[in-house]
Amino acid sequence: MGDEIYSDLMRDLKSGNYVFTGELEPEKAGDVNEPIEMARELKGMVVACNVTDNPQSFAYVNSMAASYLIQKETGMECVYQLRCSDRNRMALLSDVLGAGALGLKNVLALAGDHVSLGDTPDAKPVFDLDSTTLIKLIRTMVEEGKDLGGNEIHNPPKLHVGGAAAPGAAHLKAEVGKVKRKINVGVEYLQTQVVYYTDVLDRFFDELGKVDVPILVGIFPARTFGQADFFDKYVAGVDVPPDYLEAMRKTKAIKDKEKKKEEVDRVNIEFFTGFLEHLKGTPAAGCHMMAVGYPRIIPPLKKLME
Amino acid sequence: MIAQEKKPIEEILGYLEGKKKVVVMGCGGCATFYHTGDTKAVNAMAETLTKEGKDVFKMPLPFSIQACDIEKSGVWLEKNRKELENRDAVLVLSCGDGVQVVTEYMDEKMEITKAVIPGNDALGLVGGGPKKFKETCQSCGMCELGKTAGICPLTSCGKGLMNGPCGGVREGDKCEIDEEKDCAWVKIYKRMEKLGEVAKFEQMLDPHEWSKMKRPRLFEIEEPIGMDVIGAMKGMMTVKFGPKPKLDE
Repeated sequence: MGDEIYSDLMRDLKSGNYVFTGELEPEKAGDVNEPIEMARELKGMVVACNVTDNPQSFAYVNSMAASYLIQKETGMECVYQLRCSDRNRMALLSDVLGAGALGLKNVLALAGDHVSLGDTPDAKPVFDLDSTTLIKLIRTMVEEGKDLGGNEIHNPPKLHVGGAAAPGAAHLKAEVGKVKRKINVGVEYLQTQVVYYTDVLDRFFDELGKVDVPILVGIFPARTFGQADFFDKYVAGVDVPPDYLEAMRKTKAIKDKEKKKEEVDRVNIEFFTGFLEHLKGTPAAGCHMMAVGYPRIIPPLKKLME
Repeated sequence: MIAQEKKPIEEILGYLEGKKKVVVMGCGGCATFYHTGDTKAVNAMAETLTKEGKDVFKMPLPFSIQACDIEKSGVWLEKNRKELENRDAVLVLSCGDGVQVVTEYMDEKMEITKAVIPGNDALGLVGGGPKKFKETCQSCGMCELGKTAGICPLTSCGKGLMNGPCGGVREGDKCEIDEEKDCAWVKIYKRMEKLGEVAKFEQMLDPHEWSKMKRPRLFEIEEPIGMDVIGAMKGMMTVKFGPKPKLDE
């Protein structure tokens, strides 16, 4: 791994500071006003925010354009998510060059959900590269100034690349084997899929063993019962605990908006108190708070980690 | 074999709109195996189209005479030249290969240009049987099986990933996209374990070389087989069937 540091996120990860990141989701819209507003609210709470790339294969505003606009308008450092589902290796390469030219400093390289799971199911899935070979491509571009074919890149991009891991995968050994492929090709940090169970997390860290790559653990405090239910039903590799789901379900009946918010926050803080306490004892370098549209929950959760 | 299923009749009738006189051609290869182009399927389609007011001429091919093997199936086309000339459309009950080979042969060798319509949807190369079949190879031109414990991730993984399972493996090691299907990468892992090769699982495989799949791929062999049979077939048909062969026999 090179020693150059291009982003605040990487600076914090390397310094050993406990890192908090957030998540912004561009939508099916001709603007990115909402994520920009969210980024303003999150400013100061997190070091950087992921900007999703067609999450769950729903086609939304381009992640690179959104990342650039959010960074420009708010100063929030973005982690530009990039999926292999929708682009071949040429498009991935030119997008990474474009991201570098626009001043983006972090890329999260993902395989991506299959297009059949989203709102454009008749699309042709690409997957020309996978997450490991995309990480390899980006590292080769940044470190060697070359593409996978050995062609030289003039003024290579200066950015960092992260990868994903799924602690809740049904077959953990195969999942960890894949994560090690990413480590072997130089991934600079890992971010896990959302985890709700501490034993799932422990099994993952045990199976992975000691690695030199910092790992951010993904948590998802839901803003509404619908969000939690969606994760439970439709996000592969994530199980939402029934007690938490039930507590969130009960908040639906509260008519007063303010009281409802308070109860949702209470449920989340109660659930995550134990989880975050446990997280302190793991090798995690930080926490990725996938609290989309729910910035007010981040300060109290961060407080639990102090 | 190339798996296939029959197209919905509504779609076929749409293609045949305004076309009264129709040839229904079968296929003695894969389409016979999957009952989508055997003699029974040709008869059934002819009956349906007749009920819809079409004037149908049936042209089934005998078992083992494949529509795509044009030197052989062409014998049947030639013998039915007059029917083909006088018809509005040819409905071919084969895979898309058979449909296109027949189209090209009629256009270029017979100089008869007609609407040639597909009766089936081809579903890919499959193996297995007798009732259940599975696609395991996509004929990509650059076989990776030597690196992946004999299971092709490009075909058997729903995403065609070359470097391990995606994050969505379901309970029971099933695929994110379809819980009826097994995760190919978990199967590869388990085979590598049994083969004592699990250390390989942590090593990146290079991106697949798709350059071997420049379409359309052309292919040539030096010694074609069955050419003597074609000679015999041509002779046999002249003697046996005369000017208007009964190809159902």
